[in-house]
Order: sequence, then C-alpha cells, then structure tokens
Amino acid sequence: MEKRKMTLVQRMQQLDRRYIYIVIAVAIIIPLLIPFNTKTYVTEPTANIYKKIDSFAGREDKAILMSFNHDASTMPELFPMEVSILRHCFERDVKVFTLCFMPQAAPLVDYAINTAKEGYDVTSGVDYLNFGYRPFALQLPIILGMGEDISNALETDSEGRKIENMEIMENIRNYDDMNLVIDFSGSASIQTWIIYARAKFGANIAAGITAVMVADNYPYLQTGQLVGMLRGLKGAAEYEKLVDIFAAYEDEDYPNGRPYSQEILKEINVPITADKIIYEVTNEDGSVDKISTNAEMKYEYKKARIGMNAQSVAHVMIIVFIIVGNIGYFLTRKNKKLG
Amino acid sequence: MTLSNFVAAFLTLCIFSFLYKENPFYRFGEHLLVGVSMGYAIPLIYDTVFIPYVYRPIFLDHNYIIIIPAVLGFLYVFRYSKNLSWLARYPIVFGMGIVGMSVPMSMHSQVLVQMKTAMLPLDNINTILIFIGTVTILLYFFFSKAHKGAYGKVTNIGVWFMMIGFGASFGYTVMARISLLIGRIQFLLGDFLGLIK
Repeated sequence: MEKRKMTLVQRMQQLDRRYIYIVIAVAIIIPLLIPFNTKTYVTEPTANIYKKIDSFAGREDKAILMSFNHDASTMPELFPMEVSILRHCFERDVKVFTLCFMPQAAPLVDYAINTAKEGYDVTSGVDYLNFGYRPFALQLPIILGMGEDISNALETDSEGRKIENMEIMENIRNYDDMNLVIDFSGSASIQTWIIYARAKFGANIAAGITAVMVADNYPYLQTGQLVGMLRGLKGAAEYEKLVDIFAAYEDEDYPNGRPYSQEILKEINVPITADKIIYEVTNEDGSVDKISTNAEMKYEYKKARIGMNAQSVAHVMIIVFIIVGNIGYFLTRKNKKLG
Repeated sequence: MTLSNFVAAFLTLCIFSFLYKENPFYRFGEHLLVGVSMGYAIPLIYDTVFIPYVYRPIFLDHNYIIIIPAVLGFLYVFRYSKNLSWLARYPIVFGMGIVGMSVPMSMHSQVLVQMKTAMLPLDNINTILIFIGTVTILLYFFFSKAHKGAYGKVTNIGVWFMMIGFGASFGYTVMARISLLIGRIQFLLGDFLGLIK
C-alpha cells in the first residue's frame, strides 16, 4: 500500500509541465466564457486616485495628465486602467491630457482615447488633448519644463496643432493646475516623475503599474510620494467598479455622477453579467434591492473584472499545485529516508 | 473577424507554441516582433526627432547652434568603429552629466523622505513592524560582524522579513504573468472568435 502511494507521488513529481499549462489554460478559459459575479473590494490606493480625480470634476482650472510609458506587451493590465480613468474624466467633466515617451505607446494612446470616448460627447482640444509621442531624450526637459509652462514645454499636440490657444489650455499653465500625473508603466518610469515633478514642483503623482512593479513602488506609496497606486489587473477592476458606482450614476440629484462615498461603496455591488448597469444594494437586514438603469455596460468597461474572475481561479489552481508539489516533495524525502 | 485580428491571433498562437517545444513558428513570431518594432520606431523617430529637432532648426530656421549637439549626437555612430569608438564617449559624458543632475533630487525622494517616514512613533502595530524590519535587515547587511549568537538571531529575523518581502514580490509576479495570459486569451476568445460578448 505504502509503495503504491509513493509511486503515485513520484509520478506527480515527474509530471510533464505541459499538463500544468493545460490545467491553467482551462482554469482561465472557463471563467472567461462563463462569467460570474464576484465582489470586487476597492482598496485605499485605488480609491485615493479616484477621489483625487473626482475632486477636479467640472473645474476649468484643474486637469490631469496620463503618461503612457508602456508598449502592447503590458496592455492586459494597463489598458483597462487607462480606459476606466478616461471614462471617469469624460463622465465627470475633468480635463485630461495624454502624453508618451515611447514610440510603441503612441498608437496605444489613440486606441485608449477612441475606446473610452465612444458614447461621450467629448472633443479634442476642449475636453481632452493628446500631446502625443515625445522622444525619450526629451523626457527630462519636458517634465521640468511643464513645471514652468506646459505650452512652452510641449508647443504642439499629436496632430501638430499649437496648444497655446486651445480651449482646454485656458486656466491650465503648469503642475499647479495640471495637478495630478498618472504614469502607466511596466517599468520604473514612475521614479522620474517622483524625482523631478514631485520633488521639484510638488506635483501630485499616481501610478498605474503592472503587478510585477508593485512591490518596488510600495515605499513611494507609504511615504506619501504617490497619491495612489493602481496595482495590476486588480487595480483596474477596482477602478472599473468605482466608475460604475459613482461616475456613471445618474439621477435627478446627480445628473453627472455622484461624489465618492465609503458608505455607498460598502452597500453597492455592480454585477458584471448584465448588459446594463445594475446596482445591487445590500440592506441592513441582508436583503438585496436591485436598481436597474439604462446605462450600457460595454465589455470594455468590465474587461478587468471579468479577467479577475479568471485570475482568481488560476490563483487557486496555482496554490493547489504548490501544496500538491510540496506534499509530493516531503513524501519523496520521507521515502528516501526510510530507504 | 478582421484581417488584423487574424494576423494577431496567428502570431499569438505562434508564440504560444513554444509552450509545447521550440519550433520554427515560434522563431518566426519572435523575429517578426523585433523586426516590426524596429521598422516602426525608425521612421517614427526620424519624423518626430530628426525633422523637428535637427533638420527644421538648422536648415529652415537657420539656427546653426543646433549643429553642435547634432554633431555630438552623431558621434554615437562611431561606437561601431574599432579605431574611432572612443569618439562615442563624448556624448556619453553629457548623458552622465544629466545623471549627476538627478542625484540631489534622488537623494530627497529615495533616501531622505524614506528615512523620515521610517522614523515614526511606535504607537501601532504597523510602525512597530516597520521598525523591527528596518533595523534587523540593516543589521543583516552589517558584514563586519559574524552572524552568530544573539546577533545572529536578530539578523535571522531580518532574513524572515526579506523572505516575506520576496514572497510578496513573487506573488505579484505570478499575478502579472497570469494577467498577461488572461489578456491574450480574452483576445483569442473575444476579439478573434467572438465567444465573449
């Protein structure tokens, strides 16, 4: 009996890695094909970015800058963040600028704007403006120059138009007005913004980063040098939920979205299996009221949350593999000791 | 299904085929990525760097002072010459100067602010953990004393803190890699096959 058990364990230890790939692939494919509703818990670093952007809602003298510092390889994590933030800005009438220092990021900026603005009545040069691609060699002079005068530092937008006299530039001069920079990256590029824009000009900096970079950037969050941090696909899913609950909300009292509230966030969940936004309100007695809306819930608006379902299942599988692998390891070691 | 989606799906499967074993489809996809990236970047940089920052100022605006940095930048090309590669060091010198410029501000954000926020009153569990972690890890990297006896036990706590840190970092790495796989599968199932609505 003991011998047969060990043979099975030994077989498991020598399992072809390709079987594990297949299991992981299946664990990801099934939740994507059959989405289910899970609660997405919003963490403080994500909520802080949302609240900061939302504090600029409807203001002519405030804007945010989104710096795209990544290529297509990190799109699954970063693109849903970018679309959600752009959507938040369009919903809540926040001026938004975009910029990139990587050639490969230039088409991604256009793609994100075009994806997010679908269904919104927004105009380039009025509601948003893409500064376009700037050579990496000019990153430092541009970051420092924007601390003095954005129009002088950049001069033209992605289409070659002079930005100085554009409507969106009214009341926007430097980091005092464009008071939040969000850097989306799979690298350490956020440090350049922290070192120059934050340390020299006191600009508010936030990060939208891939999960790989999260541990490296936590010290900046802990020290308050980052306003907030969107951490991988989970951060994107959290932001999607915030936009659905607050920015996309409409009623007589709040025709253009409601302000952030911790209490509302605790009570409400938004199911991702519906085509329209539905608010599930949990009452004190545990009962759930459903508030249906006509607001469309496009696939792009819930992509990260659907992805997180698959992520959760894949993580469970990996944990199981680690436990099984360790059991096999210890049983094999015990068997060797027994001779 | 658009042609671009078909090409993207084919190339994705070419790369995924490496999971089975090394094969010509994988190599084709890999080499194509390098080639396309360079092919895309060269004309873009020519159009957005050379034309506005070199050609236009010198030849159209007659701002001849730009010739100096342009020549300096051109010296990088000599990196490929065995005899004249020393010329490439001159533009590197200017690059190093910029690194020097960042030192004071890096000191501020990466050392001084970090130190300041590590020196907090020990009035809650988080600051106590930060204090113990910081001190024991710093002691671990004090190599002029042997890690034995009571001192060794203290540095061992630092090792535990580092292991937890590495574990958190590795966990995030796994999450990132799975996210990338999810992104590709979302593309294959959604954009390519239309199975996700």
